[in-house]
Amino acid sequence: MIDVDLKPAPVLQSNYVSQRLANFVKSTLRYLVLIAIGIIMFTPFILAMIGTFKTDLEITAFPPKFLPEVWHWENWTRVWNTDIGQGGTFPRWLFNTAFLSVTISVSQVIFCSMAAYAFARLRFAGKNGILNFMLTTMMIPGAVTLIPAYVLMTKLHLINTYWSLILPNLVAAGTIFTLTQFFKSIPKDLEEAAFIDGATHMQIFRTVVLPLARPALLTVLILQFQSIWNAFLQPLLYLNSPDHYVLNVALSIFQQQYKAQWNLTLVGAMFNAIPVILLFFIFSRYYIEGVAYTGIKG
Amino acid sequence: MPKQAKNPARIETVVAAFVFIGIVAVILLIALLNAPTMGGPRVMATLQTYLTEVRETAIPYMVVVGIVAIIVAFFAARELRKVWTNRRRRTELITGYAFLAPYLIVTLTFMIGVILFAFYISFNDYDIFTRPKWIGLSNYAEAFQGFTDSTKRDFLQSLYNVLWYTIIVVPIQTTLAILMAVLLNAPIHMKQFFRAVFYTPSVTSSVVITLIFVWFYLKAGYVNYFLQTSLGWVGISFEPVNWLGDPRGLIQLIVEAFGGTIPSTQWYFRGPSIAWMAIMFQNIYTTIPTFMLMFLAALQDINPALYEAASIDGASSFQMFRKITLPMLRPIILLVVVLGTIGTFQVFDQVYLATKGGPLKTSLTPVFLVFQEALGINGPINMGYASALAFILAVIIFAITFFQRRFLERGTELY
Repeated sequence: MIDVDLKPAPVLQSNYVSQRLANFVKSTLRYLVLIAIGIIMFTPFILAMIGTFKTDLEITAFPPKFLPEVWHWENWTRVWNTDIGQGGTFPRWLFNTAFLSVTISVSQVIFCSMAAYAFARLRFAGKNGILNFMLTTMMIPGAVTLIPAYVLMTKLHLINTYWSLILPNLVAAGTIFTLTQFFKSIPKDLEEAAFIDGATHMQIFRTVVLPLARPALLTVLILQFQSIWNAFLQPLLYLNSPDHYVLNVALSIFQQQYKAQWNLTLVGAMFNAIPVILLFFIFSRYYIEGVAYTGIKG
Repeated sequence: MPKQAKNPARIETVVAAFVFIGIVAVILLIALLNAPTMGGPRVMATLQTYLTEVRETAIPYMVVVGIVAIIVAFFAARELRKVWTNRRRRTELITGYAFLAPYLIVTLTFMIGVILFAFYISFNDYDIFTRPKWIGLSNYAEAFQGFTDSTKRDFLQSLYNVLWYTIIVVPIQTTLAILMAVLLNAPIHMKQFFRAVFYTPSVTSSVVITLIFVWFYLKAGYVNYFLQTSLGWVGISFEPVNWLGDPRGLIQLIVEAFGGTIPSTQWYFRGPSIAWMAIMFQNIYTTIPTFMLMFLAALQDINPALYEAASIDGASSFQMFRKITLPMLRPIILLVVVLGTIGTFQVFDQVYLATKGGPLKTSLTPVFLVFQEALGINGPINMGYASALAFILAVIIFAITFFQRRFLERGTELY
């Protein structure tokens, strides 16, 4: 958008040619920079991916070789068959992570969209107070609640149960805020027609608002799925028995478990990264809208 | 007919009374969960033992919360009674709070209740298993002991580290994110593809990226290899560095290059260590893409007519960038700087995985310290001290973001 094409003014021929040349050089340069950044951004993943097929020795050899001599696919099966005892197996960790990510993101979509509907559409005493309260809580750094929430979880006997991660994450102020902004942008006509026809708010919410808000709900769902999949500190504190590890926590154990066997640690890392990267490439439109939306309106 | 007129009045009073009791009960229950008592298996064994414990230690706390609960419930009940006769307002009030109930209950339990607990605990000596012992401001004083006793400087050092971290990371990541967004916003082919590729590091978990980078930073890793070969081409020999294990500070290196030394008692002159800067680099790599997307969205909102007008006036691309793009991005820059600061002040994952605070505590961060103290990783469990540190950190973050806001928002008025 920066270089707007001006209509070729009546200039000298040589001037016009040099202008064309300059534009060509400029756009070539731009693509070179873009490709260079693309390579920088993606190289770590490619190197790590190739690394998963190397032997223990190759992976820490200096100078490193780009490709392994023999592709060791068995590294992947070895990691898949990891068993550190007390129910700590790799498929179990994968299940824990997937289960928690799905449960939490779905419940957030349900509860946050309800709250957002109340903020965006209903008029009642105390609404603005609660909205301001919510915006204030968004400013509180997570470090403050970390310790006492851990104490609360121990009191409730919830440590090492899925509930310890699900309960505090049932709702999220940021999600509510994003959805509120979105609901406000939906035209009200349909709802008012439904209301005059005698529909209750619950009916309007379920049959009118939610279908209209599907793209926003999907965006929130995906972003929350990703953020729970990638969460580390909370599961590290709350889920610390081997059968309840999530992948991220298990990975941090891997580092100690497999000491210098970086090939195996990297397999674990790739197991963790591939699902979200795939998800991202499939739904990248929603991701980008979501990040942009929360960014601007947040 | 007086009978009919009387009946609804009674109903609304009964409903209001039930609502009143309900709200008080819920708030008291939440307070009960977060009552400042000792934890531990003995106390938590049954509900009975816990209630006994609450009765002995947390009665004043429960009374205070109870009074607040009664006030809140009173206003709620009064409001309900007032709007009862108006069908529309009544349904909106009831539905509104019904829809907000999950949010309110979860937030009150896991955020507000928990913060009140932490605030109380921060004035106590508390290890979960015994009763909290009131020690006043000792925890807060202990945090700043490092000023007088350099063996207890952990917290000060962590603040010092994290301050360097913010000073270096936030400007770099913001600048690079803007530049990348501008680059992507130009008319190019395969925009979606480039955008997706650029964004990938932000999608994956910080644990994955940190592990990959720890591997890169090994002495026999790709970073050393890359530097050795590329510097070799220009004829400079390069000794492989143990990136994550090198405690030498930036300023220390410069001073030593000129033949001076900085003794370890003057650690605060040494600057960020090599290990710490390696982590910064990795962090910048992960956070740029998210901020890039925010800038990209903002760029697309800028009216193209502005650029057209400027280019007719003969402005160069650089002038347009300085005089149009940057001023128009100001609000997002503010947002990104504030978010970046909040994030960098709370680094944890990278430290936990890559360095555990070392070498020589040069990568210790406040959140890592809070984690250590709360779980008793280096010595006894110290919940009170950990909470005090968390509150000090929160106050610092609030103060810094407040000043950033003042500073950057004042700038906006110029345009």
